Amino acid sequence: MILTYVFTGVIILVSLLIQGHTSFDVLRIAGVKPDLIFIAVVYLSYCFGSFYGEVTAFIGGLLHDAVSNSPLGLLTFPKVAVAFIVGMFGRSLFKSNILTTSLLLFVASLAKGFITLFMCYVFHEASASSILSIILPESFYNALLAPPLFFIFDKIFEGELEKEGYL
Amino acid sequence: MEFIIRNKSVVAFISFTLFCIISLSLQSTTFTLSFEGIISAVTMPFQKAYNGVQGGISRIWAGFTELTEVRDELMKTRAKLQQYESMTDEMSEIRRENDRLRELLGMKERVEYDSIPSSIISKDPDNWFRTIIINKGASDGIRENMPVIAYQGGQKAVVGTVIEVRGSISRIAPIISPAVRIGVKLQESRFPGLLCGYSGNSNLCKMDYISRAAFIKFNDVVITSGQGGVFPAGLVVGTVLKSYSLESSAYQRAMVKPVVDYDLVEDVFVIKKDIDKDLFEIFDEEKNE
Repeated sequence: MILTYVFTGVIILVSLLIQGHTSFDVLRIAGVKPDLIFIAVVYLSYCFGSFYGEVTAFIGGLLHDAVSNSPLGLLTFPKVAVAFIVGMFGRSLFKSNILTTSLLLFVASLAKGFITLFMCYVFHEASASSILSIILPESFYNALLAPPLFFIFDKIFEGELEKEGYL
Repeated sequence: MEFIIRNKSVVAFISFTLFCIISLSLQSTTFTLSFEGIISAVTMPFQKAYNGVQGGISRIWAGFTELTEVRDELMKTRAKLQQYESMTDEMSEIRRENDRLRELLGMKERVEYDSIPSSIISKDPDNWFRTIIINKGASDGIRENMPVIAYQGGQKAVVGTVIEVRGSISRIAPIISPAVRIGVKLQESRFPGLLCGYSGNSNLCKMDYISRAAFIKFNDVVITSGQGGVFPAGLVVGTVLKSYSLESSAYQRAMVKPVVDYDLVEDVFVIKKDIDKDLFEIFDEEKNE
């Protein structure tokens, strides 16, 4: 299990670097970047269960909040909430193939987007235009990247998943 | 205890939710800021280190690949330099004439400010917020509310304002952020207005409170007015794309395209100008009343 923690830590840090560093601005399509940390969180909740996903979402979210200009907790809570739901119901609803993986990420990203919008409305500043300018494009982008990233994560965690009996 | 272990995911969810809600409720207190500061201090060295390694590799690679280009550029630059040298005499004559005319009109002399060159090491990783992080901080003399400019397409223009300063890094809120508000005016007609970001994900700004008497054209240049105490007067901000009158308002609104592209900017200059404290004291007094 230690290797799983190490791989998770590395994935979160690399995702954060890719999302934040200017040299990866080419990834921006229609003004948005994919949320790589979130894709990793959904994968980990899906494969290792709710608790592991929630803890990863919490730590990843805190790092995301710290690097971003958001108030601490604003980007963390939606990740934790979605990790909890995906961990609870993900496996029973979605069988792992390209279409369902994309659909899972699309639905999860929409849920995360609307929770973030609600949190922004309550604790920060919110605009309904964010649905069209941020939530929808980001959800499509995350859904598009989900199958190749899930494939890579499957390869990374293959041994660990087998060892822990998740496969 | 057994109940907690059996329902650990529910317990974790409730605990994390409570943490987030309490943190968001206390967001203005020192607890949240210092906690965020600690995490930020942990993650920033990684970004700076990556930036250093990436910059080094890019420079070495550029040394191999760009020699021919550099030689061509050198020839062109030499030719340009000769051209500029011949302009110097003309410029100094114009400057003298300008000074003399300013003196005659009794105008205040324009203050020149020092600036701190810095590189952007990171942009906000989330789509909901638009901030920039630079590689200079308090140790380089940067303070909060200092204005930030950049050169793009040979033009000096406003990028944003410093909103957070740490030891060796600072965070800048760009003018496309709805949270940043700048006193501006139209360069040609001199009508003033208030500029801020159009929306969280747009690269445009809106200029509000422009008098209905103002005739606004496409491509009108918008400059800082110097009012507000943060930005010096006369810095180029952007150009007008369109304008329209708001039905319920006595003013016009103009959509402004900033000269500096948020997605392309790499190097910036922080102007060493402190905010006009007297002005801010007046604002504070008014707020407290």
